[in-house]
Amino acid sequence: MIDFSIYGAKTPTIKAYKCLTCGAVYYPAPMVCGKCSTRRDPVTGKGWETFDLEGSCVLLTWTRVWNLPEGYTKKYLLFGIVQFENGLRASGQLEVEDPRIGMKLNATVKESDERPGNPVNVFVFRE
Amino acid sequence: MAIKVGIVGIGHTRFGNSSEYDLADVMAYAATDALQDAGFLERRREIDQVVVGNMASGMFCHQSGVASSLISRMDMEPVPAELVENGPASGASAIKIGYMAVASGMADIVLVVGGEIMRKVSGWEATDLVATILHSEAEYDMGLTLPAFGGMFTRLYMEKYGLTERDLALLAVKNHRNGAKNMYAHIQAPCTIEAIADGPEAAVVNTYVAEPLRMYSTCPVSDGAAALLLVNMDSPKVRDFKKKPIRIAGIASATDTHCVHNRKDPLRLEAVRLAAEKAYKMADLGPKDISFAELHDAFSILELAISEEVGFFERGKSFLAVRKGETDIDGRLPINTSGGLKSKGHPVGATGVSQAVELVRQLRGEAEEGRQVRNPKYGMSVNFGGFGNNVVALICAKD
Ligand SMILES: [Zn+2]
Repeated sequence: MIDFSIYGAKTPTIKAYKCLTCGAVYYPAPMVCGKCSTRRDPVTGKGWETFDLEGSCVLLTWTRVWNLPEGYTKKYLLFGIVQFENGLRASGQLEVEDPRIGMKLNATVKESDERPGNPVNVFVFRE
Repeated sequence: MAIKVGIVGIGHTRFGNSSEYDLADVMAYAATDALQDAGFLERRREIDQVVVGNMASGMFCHQSGVASSLISRMDMEPVPAELVENGPASGASAIKIGYMAVASGMADIVLVVGGEIMRKVSGWEATDLVATILHSEAEYDMGLTLPAFGGMFTRLYMEKYGLTERDLALLAVKNHRNGAKNMYAHIQAPCTIEAIADGPEAAVVNTYVAEPLRMYSTCPVSDGAAALLLVNMDSPKVRDFKKKPIRIAGIASATDTHCVHNRKDPLRLEAVRLAAEKAYKMADLGPKDISFAELHDAFSILELAISEEVGFFERGKSFLAVRKGETDIDGRLPINTSGGLKSKGHPVGATGVSQAVELVRQLRGEAEEGRQVRNPKYGMSVNFGGFGNNVVALICAKD
């Protein structure tokens, strides 16, 4: 069976960056390596490697935000900051019933059009 | 020998809702107040430089070029005028640039005006527009806002040091008590610990905004403006003003990572610590010399965290001092004597200048009865841009 309705569908990703000169990793992307001062050319990407930032991570802190603007169907949104196994950290949305600092989570990426403007890629951290 | 810079005039509108008025008019009103206070209104064209602090008139008011606009409203052409933007610390940055203009010898008299009209848009839009100072892709796009970061910071602090929600409520009670007596404050009403923390209705009155932060731990959205007249204290012109100058003993700023998650210790506010350190060094003073302080409590947790970073209290101990009343008006070290951002309000571009106005009022002994600190010598303010990624510290002295 082939499902043509999902033809061309792309899995949204969020990229982390690695400086090939010294091996330092970053999220979000810097324009100059903080360790060895190698420049990053955002057009060619030469001298840098990118990789998907996702998967296993630990929750560092979180909040539940109330009073969302009109247009949201939810009563509140949860946000958190996580740390990945490679030491990189990220902020994003949290979809966990009972969040606890230090809990293990899995980071995925979704496309979101909750805010005005073009859709953007958003981290969703789940158990 | 470095040039000494003093403040000879102050002006301030009542913070609150001024959304029916034009931003340049509101700023001009505060500026005119400052010139009158200095006895220099008629001679305003002798001013060498005007520096305006404003965060986002383009977004909030659909208006740009406000520094030039202000000049024209006050009939001050051809005095030079420029705008300084540093998010919610635009006001203190404008003072710093004004200070640098005088200290460099390029200007003898500088007018600094900070102002913002935020209430032309809805409360949520205001929160959203302020959130544009966050990292565009890694924070703003995620749906994060400043209150969200305030909530996450508060949770970490609670986890590490044992701070309670009631402790945060105590800060609101203290700051509203001060603000209720400040004629410039947005919310001039005291609140009780029963109403917002202890009583049966407290959870309804004081609802969550970004857990564990509640409404009474979050500043209101305000409009308003404040102004200062700076002068070279070594120039003979210093005698032309009505009032004795209050000296700027130290002013400095520092930056930190744009993304909050990239700070080694997410509970540290390095830019606050560094800005304060530099300001102390410039003033040849230390935290023990400060008589009172205005600290940027956009969220109550920040009053605590900033008071620790600038060296007033040991890490994780500031809220114990608040419990004992040490930061009350008659305490050992009064903090947010104006009511702070919580009660006085936070028109983002105005706040840093407003804090300086409070330092001058206290040092001159001109604060209202019941909130005047006894014989203060040195006042300090901290104006916090972004979520702590661009911070200005100011120390004023009564010589
Ligand atoms: Zn490198």
